[in-house]
Amino acid sequence: MKIRTRLTLWYAGILILSLLVIGLGTYHEIAEQMRHHHRDEVADHPADVQGDHRGDHALNETGEMVLRVGLPAVALGLLGGWWLTRRALAPVARLTSAVEAIHEHNLRTPLPRNSSGDELDRLTEVFNAMTARLDGSFNRIREFTLHASHELKTPLTILCGETETALRDESLSPTEHERAVSQLDELRRLTHIVDSLTLLAKADAGQIVLASEPVRWDELIRDNFADALILAEPHGIHVELSARETVTVLGDRHRLRQLLLNLTDNAVKYNRPQGQILMVLRRVGDTAEFSIANTGQGIPPEILPRVFDRFFRGDAAHGSRVEGCGLGLSIAQWIVNAHHGTIVIESPDAELTTARVRLKIHNPQA
Amino acid sequence: MRILVVEDEKKTAAFIRKALQTEGFVVEVCHAGDEGLAALQTSAFDALVLDIMLPGLDGLGVLRRLRELGRQTPVLLLSARGEVTERVAGLNAGADDYLPKPFELSELVARVRALLRRGGETKATVLRVGDLELDTLTRQARRAGRDIPLTAREYRLLEFLMRSAGRLCARMTIIEKVWDYDFDPGTNLVDVYIRRLRGKIDADFEPKLLHTVRGAGYLLKDPA
Repeated sequence: MKIRTRLTLWYAGILILSLLVIGLGTYHEIAEQMRHHHRDEVADHPADVQGDHRGDHALNETGEMVLRVGLPAVALGLLGGWWLTRRALAPVARLTSAVEAIHEHNLRTPLPRNSSGDELDRLTEVFNAMTARLDGSFNRIREFTLHASHELKTPLTILCGETETALRDESLSPTEHERAVSQLDELRRLTHIVDSLTLLAKADAGQIVLASEPVRWDELIRDNFADALILAEPHGIHVELSARETVTVLGDRHRLRQLLLNLTDNAVKYNRPQGQILMVLRRVGDTAEFSIANTGQGIPPEILPRVFDRFFRGDAAHGSRVEGCGLGLSIAQWIVNAHHGTIVIESPDAELTTARVRLKIHNPQA
Repeated sequence: MRILVVEDEKKTAAFIRKALQTEGFVVEVCHAGDEGLAALQTSAFDALVLDIMLPGLDGLGVLRRLRELGRQTPVLLLSARGEVTERVAGLNAGADDYLPKPFELSELVARVRALLRRGGETKATVLRVGDLELDTLTRQARRAGRDIPLTAREYRLLEFLMRSAGRLCARMTIIEKVWDYDFDPGTNLVDVYIRRLRGKIDADFEPKLLHTVRGAGYLLKDPA
């Protein structure tokens, strides 16, 4: 129940109680007056008066008064109370909608204060101080990731360089050579993780500016389809594409290609041998929906909400045979969000997983 | 060929020097921007490998001064930041190429080589390596007189490899030139395409032309 309703109901209860007290008082007053009156009457005509007439009369009189004057007064009081609570609670409603609009990226915007120094103003002040502290913490985390990924780059460069230099050494034994090559492979993986992490940290810090130009979305998808065929072939995976529409979206060509490749890479990696991939591009209202479905193990519903989390890779058994760092879908989600689109992953059964990306269609005529 | 390397990180500078020396270049190393600029003003270099983050005058500053002096020495910028805007800033300041850290040494060597032969790339419309032929007008590949059907991407990959015939092609360079990706896709896309291409141009023929240099990249060359 809302505070407003509750206050009004309490107020109504109090009003009715006071009305009862007033009614009771009035009844006594009237009864008393009648007794006096009666005593005078008895003195004049002592024979013909019935005692109980008096009580009924007083009750009727009181009832009439309560009904005629009391009830309208109560109704007025209720209306006034309703209006008063509404007025008193309006700043709370404003505060609520302002707080609702807060998310991790606009913590720096303070809530508007009424500067009256009242309780609500004080609450707003305290709340602003809290969001400022939160903003500080968020920033420190972002900066930490950004600095960490930067700091890793120099030692990585040196490690890569020295391993490669070692590889060029003709006097290496085949075992040493093999070891150096394997180290270089791992260094490449590490480099890819650091690169992905840097990208996400920069995106979080708002340091990446994306292009916003008309891009033929269907062409990028067809282009990506050619790569998908090649990536899928060694695993005997069958890939199909249905994209008959001509669709232009506003966005960053490089990032959109990265998005497609990330999703395709996942569809191949988490597929089963001889499995299938189905890509579909279609119009849904004024948006273009690109979906890519793959056979495989499916994703259990309990972990579905976490697939976009950084470094999340599903259960160990599922992830162990798959190479990757668990940042691909986080990057995909960032790219889609940066294009003001939506991305969802669905896994209706244990056999199928679908990624669905919706982007607004660019229509220069409109 | 003299190359100047301006890099404040001593270990990085050391292996860059070593790698370029192995390739037969004469290499000089400076660890600060001002020092590098002074070296550039006193002697001639054929190419400059320049780190952006330097103590004192930074890499972009050195580059601007160099261009203001009217020197057209080809410049390869190195950066730990690897951001698109920075790449653009570097190229606008007059850099010829840009390599984000961490890079692979083979990549760096390949790019320095590319800088030195700028404009010297073969413009021929029919490329030949051994008995493999690629007509860039009709986009037709033939080996030993037999037509080889290629997809669009395979064609671009083969054209790139043939234009760089005899030289090592590093993985990131291939991704950049053939796919036009500005990011490391983190997939084995290149390897899979190379395998397919190999199946088409090498499997039924002798001698083999397409070679893998493990840990470095790919190389198309006629062993003869």
